[in-house]
Amino acid sequence: MIRPEEIKMSAEENGKWGLVIDQDICTGCQACVAACAMENNISFVGEVDAGYGRSMHWIRIERFWEGEYPEVKMTPNQPMLCQQCGHATCEPVCPAFATVHSQAEQLNLQVYNRCVGTRYCANNCPYQVRAFNWRDYQRPEPLPNQLNPDVTVRRMGVMEKCTFCIQRIHKAQDKAKAEGREVVDGEFTTACAQACPANAIVFGRVDDPESLVSQLSHRGHGVKHLEELGTLPNVTYFKGG
Amino acid sequence: MSDKFSRRDFLKLAGVGAATTAILTGCGPASRYVKREPYMLMPEYNYNGQSTYYATTCRECAAGCGLVVRTSQGRAIKTEGNANNPLNLGKTCARGQATLHGLYNPDRVTDPIKRTRGAAAGTTVAWDDAIQTVADALKNNKPEEIAFLMGTTSDHLFDLLTDLSAQAGINAPVRFGALSMFEARATLSKAAENLFGEAGMPFFDVGGAQVVISFGANFLETWLSPVPYTRGFAGLREGQTKKRGTFIQFEARMSSTAAKADEWLPIRPGTEALVALAIGRLASELRGGPLPRVFAEVDTAAAADAAGVKLTALEHIAEIFAASAGVLAIPGGSALGQSNGLAVAEAVLALNAVADNFGKAGGVFFSGLAPSQTEYQRPASAMEMQDFIQNMTDGKYKVLFVHGVNPVFELPASSGFKAALKGVEQVISFASFPDETALEADFVFPDHHALESWGYQRVVTGSAQPVLSGSQPVVSPFYNTRATVDVLIAAAQLAGGKFAEAMPFKDEVEFLRSKVAPLMSEADGFFSAADLNTFMAYFQQYGGWWKTTDGRTAPNAADVFNRELDASEAEFAGEGEFFFVPFVSPTLAEAGANKPWLQELPDPTTTVMWNTWVEINPETAHELGLEDDDVVKIISEAGELEVPVYRYPAIRPDTIAMPFGQGHTAYGQYAAGRGSNPADLLGQHFNEAGDLAFAGMKVKIEKTGKKQPLSRMESIMGVYGVGLGEEH
Repeated sequence: MIRPEEIKMSAEENGKWGLVIDQDICTGCQACVAACAMENNISFVGEVDAGYGRSMHWIRIERFWEGEYPEVKMTPNQPMLCQQCGHATCEPVCPAFATVHSQAEQLNLQVYNRCVGTRYCANNCPYQVRAFNWRDYQRPEPLPNQLNPDVTVRRMGVMEKCTFCIQRIHKAQDKAKAEGREVVDGEFTTACAQACPANAIVFGRVDDPESLVSQLSHRGHGVKHLEELGTLPNVTYFKGG
Repeated sequence: MSDKFSRRDFLKLAGVGAATTAILTGCGPASRYVKREPYMLMPEYNYNGQSTYYATTCRECAAGCGLVVRTSQGRAIKTEGNANNPLNLGKTCARGQATLHGLYNPDRVTDPIKRTRGAAAGTTVAWDDAIQTVADALKNNKPEEIAFLMGTTSDHLFDLLTDLSAQAGINAPVRFGALSMFEARATLSKAAENLFGEAGMPFFDVGGAQVVISFGANFLETWLSPVPYTRGFAGLREGQTKKRGTFIQFEARMSSTAAKADEWLPIRPGTEALVALAIGRLASELRGGPLPRVFAEVDTAAAADAAGVKLTALEHIAEIFAASAGVLAIPGGSALGQSNGLAVAEAVLALNAVADNFGKAGGVFFSGLAPSQTEYQRPASAMEMQDFIQNMTDGKYKVLFVHGVNPVFELPASSGFKAALKGVEQVISFASFPDETALEADFVFPDHHALESWGYQRVVTGSAQPVLSGSQPVVSPFYNTRATVDVLIAAAQLAGGKFAEAMPFKDEVEFLRSKVAPLMSEADGFFSAADLNTFMAYFQQYGGWWKTTDGRTAPNAADVFNRELDASEAEFAGEGEFFFVPFVSPTLAEAGANKPWLQELPDPTTTVMWNTWVEINPETAHELGLEDDDVVKIISEAGELEVPVYRYPAIRPDTIAMPFGQGHTAYGQYAAGRGSNPADLLGQHFNEAGDLAFAGMKVKIEKTGKKQPLSRMESIMGVYGVGLGEEH
């Protein structure tokens, strides 16, 4: 068994990942939502369960209304996903250590086979981005042929959420390691960022000051949601307008 | 096992054990170097755990975006955009992502079937019998009695049928799609012809503009080619070398495109031409110089009054117009689907003359013709479809082949397509899914899914470079389906005579090579090769062939200012008090309803999933005593339907709107019996270019007293700042 102290804990060495989302150019087209579902084997739940708010989207696009007709405005589309908080409120409440912080990746992990479904984490997440498997949602044959072999299929009673496509991170890290080099910025990206027709989502290493995502996230007008709660989110938003 | 002994150590030891065994059995020293292969050898290009990637082309709409599909052990796992393809540069829309739910859809047609029209089931037949049936249909009917109705994808099939029609005398294939109907493609091309003396598909360089003024063009949703237009919009907003561009939208209902606008002006439907000319006049006056004749007649105050906006609002837009370089005006969507749609298109295109942007960055171009294309071709307009349907009714067609389109659903019920099928002796569908038209067919000979198919698609617009996007199978066919081109080639050879002469090909791939081969001698290709095998290998590897040069041309705008344009308002059919605006669902479009993940995508503006709704202004709803989820009956002169209410804060009080995409009676378990189809309300009224006046109806609303809850994403987040959980 590998002892915790043997794990390389330096964030510099293993990368710290972040997203920058430009709400001004997000058109709300849902390409990221579909791409995420396809990449991460997310179940569809059907009309009734979706109506109860049980849909399993790991990323959703929020919009609100301001004013009244004819002076009504839709607020800039806001893709909302797990913010991969540096100081996450979901983590300390899990009695099963299913949602833990990865020192190596600086991500909030969700360990499906530890999860016992207390839903404390979802209750405690201020961003409301966790999705719970209320049922064993059916994928009639031959739909399972599409399942991504790199991603676990979840069953009833398990909590899930955005992983920053950790399977892609690991694949890129494995490849870089085999070739004896560092992961290069832009070498891979998350499914949502890859699909986005407007390039409104940018993914990369925020610990690398040269990376595009670092440079964008240090632009003056970037904001982090609910930062005042001290969650240290890793997603930076540019407000529209 | 001690805790020092990890699983990895165990595997290492086990490996040593195996090698040791080999030595001990005395096979000699060489056996130490025996390479151990995986026990299950995959095909030559496939290893366990390793993905293989194939470039192909998306067929969810006719835009022709390039895809790269990740496959693993013979299964398609994920679609991504093809970064090489100049049209979409590695990006996709939601429908492109969900194309895998079409490939592995549980409701596909698995075998060729013979069926009774209208019945649910059919009997499976062998492909040899199927091909004999097609051959008999070709041979036993006069050439002019054979008709092909095609969708807007599968250009290689279109080329094959065009050749067949030229050489064997059968009717030329007719193409139609609901998307092109709602895009009013015929109107755009006719307006360009009237103003510039040349028919073609206009290209609007949104990315290079500084101010974009759109009249109903929903270019961030489904209009023409949404992926490159979305990229253009991003360029408008965050240009590297310029300040953030401004976007203004005139539209009675705030679409998800208009939701991104800085200014949304809900003008009265039917007054778009008037408003465009008024803005042209105001902007010309501000810019000084002689007033162009085209704008001289319009009374700006009367125009503002008719449109239901203040004159100051139009003056404000005109000031932005006059003060900026790089203004671009775009006509589209429901503004063109009215009785005066052609006049709207001309008036809005004429606005660009004030900005003098023709053929300049951020302006209006003609889209370049795709490689191997000699003239602009557009799908049939709804009026041309009327002629086709009349021929069916009159029994002029003895056999009708249908591929890639579902006209029973996509054409308004009032077109009479379904009834006209009775006038056709034999209907043969090539549908991959049991759609409404396939149910009315005598035979269904299913084509492969797009990801199992060869082919190519010409890029009509969206890319500056001329592009031919290429398709290749990324997985072997999952079911007992067969490529329609292969079926037609085999049947033509069986039919003999002129048919066999027209189709001297071994199979689909040989036909494809014959069509791609001429590109080898074309200049400016981004790759070239000396022999056809190498060229085809590159064609497959890169997912098509495109030029490195800009194929767009500048319209000849010399005469635009001196024209007289019709500024009269649109006429609306029907008695009701509400303008009726059907719009294409941005997530489902015309054929997405059978893909469960597309159903579960929230609509970008209302966040409704899995259903149809009617959007009514909250004030109007209050006056009528309607709440959310109340089912109302909507009555037009052409029909009526029942649909739940969504109180939509950004729509004119005298207008209601409905998404098109649901309301299937067949098309698989995820589509059938879900929602309603606004096309059922549309009458047969056309604009001067022959496009359907789909936004030219007035309708009545009646309460039914029923309720039907809509599933929406927003209910968990609250509306109007209502806190989480307060209402639900």
